[in-house]
Amino acid sequence: MKKSRGRDIVHRWKGNPIITVDDLSFQCGDIRNAAAVKIAGEYILLISIQSLEGFYCIYPARSPDGYYFVVDDKPIMSPSQEGPYAVYEEYGVLDPRIVQIENSYYISYDAYGRYGDRLGLARTNDFQSVERLGLISEPDTKCGVLFPRKIKGKFARLERPWEGRSIWITYSDDLEYWGSSEVVLTPRGGFWDSDRIGVAAPPVEIDNGWLALYYGVKQTSAGPLIRIGAAILDANNPSSVISRTNIPILSPREEYERIGDVPNIVYTCGAIYESDLVKVYYGAANSCICVGIVEIQDLVNACFKSESEF
Amino acid sequence: MKKRIGRDLFHRWKENPIIELEDIPFRCNTVFNGTAVKYGDEYLILLRIEGQQGYSFFALARSKDGFHFTVDEKPTLLPAKEGLFGKYEEFGIEDPRATFIDGTYYIMYTATSSHGPRISLVRTDDFHTFERIALISEPGNKDGVLFPEKIDGLYVRLDRPIGHGVGSIWISYSKDLKSWGHSKVLITPRQGHWDSYRVGGSVPPIRTDQGWLEIYHGVQMTPSGPIYRAGILLLDLEDTSKVISRSDVPSLSPREEYERIGDVGNVVFPCGAIVEDDGEVKLYYGAADTSLCLATTKIEYLIESVMNK
Repeated sequence: MKKSRGRDIVHRWKGNPIITVDDLSFQCGDIRNAAAVKIAGEYILLISIQSLEGFYCIYPARSPDGYYFVVDDKPIMSPSQEGPYAVYEEYGVLDPRIVQIENSYYISYDAYGRYGDRLGLARTNDFQSVERLGLISEPDTKCGVLFPRKIKGKFARLERPWEGRSIWITYSDDLEYWGSSEVVLTPRGGFWDSDRIGVAAPPVEIDNGWLALYYGVKQTSAGPLIRIGAAILDANNPSSVISRTNIPILSPREEYERIGDVPNIVYTCGAIYESDLVKVYYGAANSCICVGIVEIQDLVNACFKSESEF
Repeated sequence: MKKRIGRDLFHRWKENPIIELEDIPFRCNTVFNGTAVKYGDEYLILLRIEGQQGYSFFALARSKDGFHFTVDEKPTLLPAKEGLFGKYEEFGIEDPRATFIDGTYYIMYTATSSHGPRISLVRTDDFHTFERIALISEPGNKDGVLFPEKIDGLYVRLDRPIGHGVGSIWISYSKDLKSWGHSKVLITPRQGHWDSYRVGGSVPPIRTDQGWLEIYHGVQMTPSGPIYRAGILLLDLEDTSKVISRSDVPSLSPREEYERIGDVGNVVFPCGAIVEDDGEVKLYYGAADTSLCLATTKIEYLIESVMNK
């Protein structure tokens, strides 16, 4: 990895993109983004893929090294036909985020149907099959991630209700009934994240608090620019923001980020923290999956003393 | 009350509006949506008052007969100034709905701030001192009404998340009134109908032998703005998420001058009703966001209108 000052704080891997439609054993519309987890040396991504018909499913991809992935032939989650899920997942399941709590992996995902987006929660132990636990948010809330441990005795999640386009936190005793919602981060006028924000990869606990990657959107006359930033939240009271990057840590620049079904997007749902380094798996232009690498210390520095760009 | 077919199923009281700006003992902009309870030998209405600075708060009106009200000298509940509630009540508190349950009154209201509207819950035993319980919804949600009984061991509420502008009525459940879950959609706007643009719960549900009677509001959009009307829903007594029937027509529509003319014209917006022992329903509704009015009917007429549509 170059130590010289790159164009972004996150450095792109030279082999990007790592997964495109040509890597799949089936035809599809587009490849949006991926959650990531590392289990016993194996890297697993859960990728949102849009079918040619237009609906969303979630497919696993597996790799021994974090760079070269093989995508499963069959989805691990597709719109459910059962119970309350049938209505609320009618148009698809997408944008998963994975968090390990004790011995299980919890997948929060967007359930998308005729009444809008809402958060679904599922659990798996083996990434061969998942068990749905419930639809846990009100409508038009998306981008939900659980914290990997209870905070003051409660499960907690970050999420993005449409109203206010901000990141909120909500708590639960049992992952079933949720309350005590509070706003955490709001869009900032004039900044790169002025239109709306949402949490991206799940928060990770570091010495300074919870390090959370989030995405920020700026509107332009040609449509949105979606970038990634970072924030540090208080360890025991995560609705309190300790610091936040003034600048994005990754912006769309490469052709594979500029050209696609929805251009000018970098959007992550998962990152793998390995000692000092973070592998950030991100969707580019809603058309492929990429990986970027960054030192944790660089992210922390960016939160506490973002450089002015002028 | 005239027995001939009126213009609406609800009959307006002849002395409407029953509470106007002139009845408020302090200076304010408007008085409108109010929730009603029978408390001892009095009728109480917790009113929404909009102050001249533009944010809303609540005042209490009292009556011996349900028709002639006197408003207390001072506001009853003001937006919180500090702490968690202060942050989310920055722009005021609106549209209270009171439900008597567990021997106390729980009032759901809309807290408004720069973060958007959300539902808050407060309780009171005497309409004098109030204890805020929790902010119980995510942002972008309002019109919370609490059922007056637990059902299958759970509290139940209706609410109206606004989302991307589609205003449907949803139902949610809770064990403790603070954390809520299992939300699902109850009814949506109907194309071509009087409630084609938005719907929302209005009056806390009323138990009848035929089901839970919900007086809701429906909105139709016109080139010159929305029209707010009131209609009827009947929900299954055991499975409250099951709609037994929904009236095709509104049971109250803006027609009188005091409903047509005001800060927000063409609005009738109930937040409370009292069912008398003889089956008379007194519906208290805000008119044109400018006054509080009363209309009456019989509970059996409401049931009939929703069952035999």
